[in-house]
Amino acid sequence: MSEELVIEEKRVFMTGNEVVAWAALAAGADIMYGYPITPQNEIMHYWSRLAPRYGKDFLQTEDELSAGFATAGGVMAGRKAFTATAGSGSVLMQEPLAMAEMMRLPTVTVVQQRGGPSTATVIYSQQEVTLTTMGGNGEGMRVVYSTAGHQDLYDYTIKAFNLAWKYRFPTFVLGDGYQAKMREPLTIYDPEKRGITLLEPDPYVGREGEPGRDRPPAQYRNTYNLEEELYEKLMSDIRDFEKISTEIAEYESMHTEEAELVIVAHGIVFRAVREAVGNLREQGLRVGGFRPVTLRPLPAPQIRDLVDGLKKILVVESAYGQIARLLKEAAYGAACEIHTLFKPGVGIAAGEIEDRVKEILK
Amino acid sequence: MPETTRMVLAGEGGQGVQAIAEILAEAANEEGRQALYIPNFGVEQRGGVSVAFLQISDDAIGSPKFLKGDVVAALSDRAVQRTAPYAGPETTFIYDSAMEGVADDLPQDAARVMPVPAMEVAKKEFHPRVYNMVMMGALIGATGIIPLDRARAAIEKRFGYKFEKQPQLRDLNFRALERGMELGCGTEGVIN
Repeated sequence: MSEELVIEEKRVFMTGNEVVAWAALAAGADIMYGYPITPQNEIMHYWSRLAPRYGKDFLQTEDELSAGFATAGGVMAGRKAFTATAGSGSVLMQEPLAMAEMMRLPTVTVVQQRGGPSTATVIYSQQEVTLTTMGGNGEGMRVVYSTAGHQDLYDYTIKAFNLAWKYRFPTFVLGDGYQAKMREPLTIYDPEKRGITLLEPDPYVGREGEPGRDRPPAQYRNTYNLEEELYEKLMSDIRDFEKISTEIAEYESMHTEEAELVIVAHGIVFRAVREAVGNLREQGLRVGGFRPVTLRPLPAPQIRDLVDGLKKILVVESAYGQIARLLKEAAYGAACEIHTLFKPGVGIAAGEIEDRVKEILK
Repeated sequence: MPETTRMVLAGEGGQGVQAIAEILAEAANEEGRQALYIPNFGVEQRGGVSVAFLQISDDAIGSPKFLKGDVVAALSDRAVQRTAPYAGPETTFIYDSAMEGVADDLPQDAARVMPVPAMEVAKKEFHPRVYNMVMMGALIGATGIIPLDRARAAIEKRFGYKFEKQPQLRDLNFRALERGMELGCGTEGVIN
């Protein structure tokens, strides 16, 4: 007999991986498929410890290819299925997740970025931005939330399940090794008690009734014979994605009006930006901060507005220009100077950002 | 104390550095303050220097990474080398006085350099295994980062399951902690 899940609203102090496991439970996830890789292992550990208590399942597969395909299969069977990975595991998972894009499957994948390329470090980076937003041999028809700490991990993991099942695009929560391993306080809650309706999953295959008579036949393809046939299918998905883009894109901004320079960063690096903006403003510098929360789709109109009214931006990331490339595309044609602080594979402290800003504004 | 206290703790794997950081973080959180603790970890499963980064604040904490600590503690000679770069002109640097050959690696520009006879006290008065408790007490004594009763409660939470089986361990740990506090309060160290 499994227990009924009751999540009392309360402040807790735990690691990010534990937060993800609780958030998946709160979101009503049914099953996790996964293969171990640091720094996401404890998502599997916590989930496999918690899940059976509440009648949920876990399957460790033989590798990430299999974990990705099994997640796709779970979703097709009408279960809220998810997986978590990092680094080289995330590379392997692109094949099944590209299939999920093609078949419009609401998979949820949590990525805890580690150093790259290859095995690199097990610690931290922001080097899986290109892979997570545009991985696979397609057009990046996926939604990516970049979190900046434990409250985000909880909120956006819950949101990811709902969004995936509402719009049927593979959805990602992009964290990192710092968020995975650090402990900090957050408030956990039952989303329904906060007025968030959790969407019910429904099966793609094995529905009741006779195909063709009681219901349309279930046909989900990842193979097309004709160029034109594929083109039609892709353009339909692209139109769907573009239609929801402005609705689902999220961002955070601070003091961007009348700023001389705006610092742009995503994920945990934005916490250093918040700190730096506060310190620099105390010193009388007109500096603001902008954070895309969704990296795919980007909050393009807001980025456009930002760069059109601004002389300088500084892009800061723990990668060598991965978010900067996305930003430049959104900002194409603007006269704004784009400065950078790239530190691939290492964390960034507020002080380093402050020094860079002073150098630029000197 | 500045509004955010940043600490770096380091020692050999198994010395209990992560336990100290976890307990301090837990205690601060229980007090309703903001705390962020992150272990530094590598590919190796054992061996190597274990480093913990900890921040305690009354406001939301920014980046988990920082350049200089307000308090830096080294529990082993290799940890002195490893942590010295985190010591700046405002840092209190605490290390065990029994270490040999570390003089050249000690930070030169730290505000205060504090040798603490934690290992000696642990060995003579308690048990070498409570070295980390003595050191944690010294840290609390030197910085006043959390109240003693919060530290005790956090230790209880962390090790309560062990104390259930061997109640004498509770007393041993608590006494080691209090003794460490005396050491921390009583040592001025070298003030630069």
